[in-house]
Amino acid sequence: MRKYTKISALMASVAVVALTGAANAGQFDGVTIEAKLIGGQQYEALYARIADWETSTGAKVKIISKKSHFEIDKEIKSDMAAGTTKWCVGSNHSSFAAQYEGLYVDLNKLLDKKDIAGFVPANISASTIKGELLMLPRAQFDVSAMYYLKSNYTNAEKSAAFKAKHGYELAPPKTWTEVKDQAIFFSDPPNFYGTQFAGKDEAIVGRFYEMLVAEGGQYIDDKSMPVFNSEAGQRALQWFVDLYTAKAVPAGTTSYVWDDLGQGFASGTIALNLDWPGWAGFFNDPKQSKAAGNVGVIIQPMGSDSSTGWSGHHGFSITNDCANKDAALSLVKHLTSEESQLVESKGGSLPTRTAVWVANIEIAEKGDDAFRTEVLRTFAEAAKYAFAVPPIPEWTETTNLVFPELQAAILGDKTVKEALDDAQAAVDELMKENGYY
Amino acid sequence: MTKRRLPEWFILVLPAIIVIALVVLIPLIFSLYSSFTSYKLTKPASLWNWIGTYNYEKILSDSKFWWAFLRTVIFLTIVLNVEMLLGLAIALMMNKVTWGQRTLRTIIMFPMMFSPILVGFQFKFIFNDNIGLVNNILQSTGISNTAFPWLVDANLAMFSIMFAEVWMSTSVFTILILAGLFAMPRDPLEAAKVDGCTPYQSFKHITLPFLMPFIYIAMTIRSLDVARAFDIVQIMTGGGPARRTELLWTLMGRTGYVDARMGLANAMGYVAIILSIIFTVYFFKKLSAARAGLGMEA
Repeated sequence: MRKYTKISALMASVAVVALTGAANAGQFDGVTIEAKLIGGQQYEALYARIADWETSTGAKVKIISKKSHFEIDKEIKSDMAAGTTKWCVGSNHSSFAAQYEGLYVDLNKLLDKKDIAGFVPANISASTIKGELLMLPRAQFDVSAMYYLKSNYTNAEKSAAFKAKHGYELAPPKTWTEVKDQAIFFSDPPNFYGTQFAGKDEAIVGRFYEMLVAEGGQYIDDKSMPVFNSEAGQRALQWFVDLYTAKAVPAGTTSYVWDDLGQGFASGTIALNLDWPGWAGFFNDPKQSKAAGNVGVIIQPMGSDSSTGWSGHHGFSITNDCANKDAALSLVKHLTSEESQLVESKGGSLPTRTAVWVANIEIAEKGDDAFRTEVLRTFAEAAKYAFAVPPIPEWTETTNLVFPELQAAILGDKTVKEALDDAQAAVDELMKENGYY
Repeated sequence: MTKRRLPEWFILVLPAIIVIALVVLIPLIFSLYSSFTSYKLTKPASLWNWIGTYNYEKILSDSKFWWAFLRTVIFLTIVLNVEMLLGLAIALMMNKVTWGQRTLRTIIMFPMMFSPILVGFQFKFIFNDNIGLVNNILQSTGISNTAFPWLVDANLAMFSIMFAEVWMSTSVFTILILAGLFAMPRDPLEAAKVDGCTPYQSFKHITLPFLMPFIYIAMTIRSLDVARAFDIVQIMTGGGPARRTELLWTLMGRTGYVDARMGLANAMGYVAIILSIIFTVYFFKKLSAARAGLGMEA
């Protein structure tokens, strides 16, 4: 009964929001808001709701660019260089936001506290750089959980062999040490691998970063000085090296990013796969995945200190040069409202509003898709351990200095210490050049 | 008193001078200037922050840059020569075809019609070690039971990107050399036949010298293309892993656009131009020599 009460309450609040919108009909007659949005099929459901906002306010939205986030990032940097930043609304991402210094409005100045209260506090915190709220989060929150092939845990012979070797029961792993033990145990290259990891660009640095945090280390200290070449850092990197050396990951893993990893797990040849929520439906779809029907998901494992939980989310920002900030704010509020988040998260993405989290789980429990319920429950739990990247404009730049060194250690070109020494020296030079110390 | 008028020839070429200045000279001067600043795309004001030769000093003392430079030279040398040899062989064979040659010429140009990005993705999939075509064929036919890390191993990764580049652009050589073969007079070949020359002697002493100017023109064009090889390498390996396939343009692309350090990237560009100039001057010298050898005006 309580379930229905919560959903009803949410629907009622959505209706109130819709009525409020109707009350503002014609408020922005004749106004055109130019927007640069992240493109892709999974984002279109939300953009379909732009028409509702146009009808209710009388304004028009002109989408002047729709590209992947990496392409939008380059375009925005070019806009900043050329001074062509009069467009109003831009898609943003928590890992990119710190780079665009001076481009976007501090939304704290435009919004009431009650407008912000409905969002998950951790998402608001990750959207805030140097005290300025630079974007409002949409229902595209990312944190990784551990997908696994269930069949590996139902074979009595295999379980007995594992226990004999490692002295504990074979069950979906709770720690990263267990992941390593099991990945090596399950591997049978080149036909089957224990696990895999993103091996290049920001992706591998993100994975290293979360492992570093889970081992109790820091990427940069309070003075923005790189400090990842600590014992924790070396332990974190050693984990990747050990798996690669033991051939428990595909040999090409250092050239993999997200699509390669998703396709790899869907091919049914990977036992354990730390991955994003957006893949859940794909992994369990019999038309697209050989792993369908055999996929389980548990929260991300623990390191020696805490859980991993590198996270990020998408959002919308308003430029300082926007001529009609009120209309832009109204559009951003509409796209990040509870109603919009309910619509967007229907596609499988994770919301950034507390009420929508609750509603989604309740809706899933009412349905007959047990896997969807398991996924939502797991990611709701995983989100509790989420943390963003260090909020410095140079984050992306540091990752370009660090990732080749991590690869060098993984491939055996350098020792773990040499690689981290070199990476830390390069980041140190960068931070000095940028006047941090 | 009569006004001094500009010469007519100057007035006539003035529009061309203005257009060239706008589209070539000004960007060149601007990028050269910015290479002496700390210009960052995300901080437009940094364009006026003059830092002298700091960027150049940083590059010249950076072993990573010089390794990328060396790799680019090796990449360029191998790719150009393989494309030339394959292009020559294909052109000679096509020249013998008497039926359906036009269709064949169109087919041979197919790889050129693909976007380099598409070619990059295609070969990235083909050479994927886990789900890629090559390893699957090798394993399913029993030739090997190893998952070859085509895009990871230092030598295999360079081989893979060279293979993709050669696959896409050999037809440039083929078409240009074929044009040379079509333009070749038949008399010297027939005279050689009458004099009892073997096919190899005719090829070595008559056909090849005649084709050399065409080959050097193709070499010059392709050397500039390959020296800018970016898309295929960026998609297939991104210059990695561990900088094993890092070429000048992947390094510059990342520095300029991802890191937004346009001043530093422009400085890299100016050092990299030296490479293009060396190759272009070398091939033009060879072209002049080849033309002089044929009794043409050098």
